Amino acid sequence: MRPIALKLVRSWAELGPRFLPFADAATPDLPLSRLLRLSLFQVSVGMALVLLVGTLNRVMIVELHVPASLVAIMISLPVLYAPFRALVGYRSDNHRSEFGWRRVPFIWMGTMVQFGGLAIMPFALLVLGLKGNAANWPAWVGPAGAGAAFLLVGAGLHTTQTAGLALATDLAPVESQPKVVGLMYVMLLLGSILSAFLFGAALAEFSPGRLIQVIQAAAVATLLLNCVALWKQEPINMVRRKVRAEPASFAESWATYLESAGARRRLVAIGLGTMAFGMQDVLLEPYGGQVLGMTVAATTTLTASLALGGLTGFMLASRVLSKGADPFRMALIGAGVGIPAFALVILAASIQSILAFVVGVLLIGFGGGLFSHGTLTATMNSAPKEQTGLALGAWGAVQATASGIAVALGGILNDGLGGLAVRGYFGDEFGSPSFGYIFVYGVEIIMLALTVVLMTALVGKVALRPVGSIES
Amino acid sequence: MSNATEVWPTGLTEGQALEIHRNLIQGTQMFGVIAALAHLLAYIYSPWLH
Repeated sequence: MRPIALKLVRSWAELGPRFLPFADAATPDLPLSRLLRLSLFQVSVGMALVLLVGTLNRVMIVELHVPASLVAIMISLPVLYAPFRALVGYRSDNHRSEFGWRRVPFIWMGTMVQFGGLAIMPFALLVLGLKGNAANWPAWVGPAGAGAAFLLVGAGLHTTQTAGLALATDLAPVESQPKVVGLMYVMLLLGSILSAFLFGAALAEFSPGRLIQVIQAAAVATLLLNCVALWKQEPINMVRRKVRAEPASFAESWATYLESAGARRRLVAIGLGTMAFGMQDVLLEPYGGQVLGMTVAATTTLTASLALGGLTGFMLASRVLSKGADPFRMALIGAGVGIPAFALVILAASIQSILAFVVGVLLIGFGGGLFSHGTLTATMNSAPKEQTGLALGAWGAVQATASGIAVALGGILNDGLGGLAVRGYFGDEFGSPSFGYIFVYGVEIIMLALTVVLMTALVGKVALRPVGSIES
Repeated sequence: MSNATEVWPTGLTEGQALEIHRNLIQGTQMFGVIAALAHLLAYIYSPWLH
């Protein structure tokens, strides 16, 4: 190779790590390329979530004319599986395999189930929408088929994510866990944003054939992404295969886990904080439109600023936490940032300022990013060695259930109270559609304050293994 | 024959080979059920046999 080319190659190599925020997560045992590959399962999870909650939600209502209540039931079905994440984690901790594998079988099984759900999804939706010949069949066929498809996708993505995060915890040493968490969240977010764009573009001109193509492409993408992600990640462990004794029952393991330092309080705080950061999810865009008079195009900037805030939060948290900061303090700061953020969003209505609203949304994303990162890192750091799966499963169960309930609760409270307020039940002062929204944001502020109180007791409680000792 | 530590030409023990086999069979069964379900729903949507 010519000297100039050689120099150029070397300069690329030197340039690389500085421009990749997660490059130093690569310990000798876990190089960055492998970590990036592992995080691909988060892309498939993000894609499935966006498909279920975003794209198909709209397709069912707008193009297939399915009643909104039935759509809401279908979309909430995957949440029903969320509490079982703790069980999935426990099962993977105690999985018996000739290879000594604990996570790969579950990631694979979850992938298969998610693939299966997506494979039957388009036909199930067309039958649900009574397209083609479906009207000649009994009425229960459509909901049953679509329900099965949604349940399968939900079960698959919750299983994959639980086992995947447990695998990441197994592989990454404690000091690089904050960066792993950051990478996992960033990939989840990127997967959602990218696939939202792709689905939107592909379904711009809707036809049943196109719907089948798009959803089945998502199914194949799930299979490919997850296979690449889990390939050669979990080492064969012959020792574990031999020493496996009769495992403790789920109830016993669960009790032991809750006994460990601060676990119960941490789970309550995670649930409360996640709900507080999740209730406005479906309300921000209609609030911008109805109360602040933003156009549809303008409201999409809200999604962008929420994502931008989240990304900034994840990256900042990765940097600070990998220097050995307390992840609970990070989560506490995140919840603390959320309080003025929601206050700003409420204030935006009375001063009619779109700028205040957008800045508020940005801060909500930022605070939410810090909070999620802090709580997941804390969960990983304090997971007992033989209960990693259960710990991550418990985190996922609380987090996913709470955000599912939050979205539903936000919608119900806003519709209910907003409707009553417009009809004058709360007097003339509150007789505007903004009442429902502001009530929800107010509830979120109160929940964040409670989270801060709960979290304060946790800061500094869990003894983390010293980080500085590795570097010195 | 049934020796768990014996390494066969592939480098797998017999138990490991059996586990792979079991997973392959289960996976095929699962794919079969999913394919049948997908065909049933596609048939309900637009019958291809008249």
